[in-house]
Amino acid sequence: MNRKLKLLGLFVGAGIIGHVGLVMAVPHGLMSLAMSRMSGDGAAINQFVFGDRTTKDSRRVVRPSPDLAYASCVYDLSKGPLLVSAAPSPNQGYVSLSVFAANTDNIAALDTTQYPQGIRFVLKRKDQAAPVGVQVVVSPSDKGIILDRRLAPTAEMFAEVDKARRADSCAPPDQS
Amino acid sequence: MSGKLVTVGVLVAGLVAGAASGWSSLQNGMVGGESYSGWSGSKVTGSVDADPWTRARVAVSGLLALNKSQAIYFRRNTDDSGARLREDCRYRVSGGAMPARWWSITVYASDNYLPLNSDDALSFDQTEAPPDGKAAWSGVLSPKRPEGEAWASTSKAGDYDITLRLYQPTAAAQADYASIPMPKVTKLDCGGAA
Repeated sequence: MNRKLKLLGLFVGAGIIGHVGLVMAVPHGLMSLAMSRMSGDGAAINQFVFGDRTTKDSRRVVRPSPDLAYASCVYDLSKGPLLVSAAPSPNQGYVSLSVFAANTDNIAALDTTQYPQGIRFVLKRKDQAAPVGVQVVVSPSDKGIILDRRLAPTAEMFAEVDKARRADSCAPPDQS
Repeated sequence: MSGKLVTVGVLVAGLVAGAASGWSSLQNGMVGGESYSGWSGSKVTGSVDADPWTRARVAVSGLLALNKSQAIYFRRNTDDSGARLREDCRYRVSGGAMPARWWSITVYASDNYLPLNSDDALSFDQTEAPPDGKAAWSGVLSPKRPEGEAWASTSKAGDYDITLRLYQPTAAAQADYASIPMPKVTKLDCGGAA
């Protein structure tokens, strides 16, 4: 009886560990997969990659919006901070830069309503120095994703905002 | 069977059962969260305050979702009568002034991607369904293009759901989701009976 109770306790304890362990691991696992896909298996780190117009065949990230133009920068802060910037779209259409940590948390979101002349900030780890006079976003992880979203519900608007977003930058301050 | 083998077997069975229950708990996505007139949404989507289950659910069904300061997401898979949305039915989605700079309605198949149709009408937004003089707007969900109306195609969508995105929501909307006038989803007809 005593052994059966011990085995039952072991089963329940292992079940809790399995449940919580999977729930904790899923965000990191899916984020790693997304970073790998968006960076071409690590070939494009600390630089923006400009997505095509969202269609039925867009399968890199779940639930994409067909009304938005996306550009992504997979970042790695292990060698220092990055200076990130995005130019506004024509006619002041919606533009935002959002920063996602390795656990999927959206740690910052800046848009051209707040910054009509363009978005510009330094992304760094807590212990890294940043240039003076620039907005700073602190990432809790070395790696993550920066996403540029722009309103582009039609092919014509997509073509317009695509030109504007080519000025986006995501690079060390001395290379920007 | 030796006692040690039994112990290892029970340990492995517990881990597998726990992982399976964990995965199962992530499968409802954002549907099943807080409910607002048939729409489900979470105030902590994308937030650093999200609990591990919400964070994992969002990772599975809405990776890279913004926090509510930038966008609020609502999702539903039923019409206003509570019936499951069906690919072969037509629905009218209608609403009034939305407390946001911009909104959109998008159809997603059960795999969380866009339906595999070639209608080039995967969503409609406020630029396609502009409000009238009383700030009212409407659009249609259906497998065939309607005449002169905003349209999101449900062709090849299967057991689909729809997502309402509110970009740059007002402070009042962020503070109290219940204050948002949620769009209605009314069934018009099914099976091509129009």
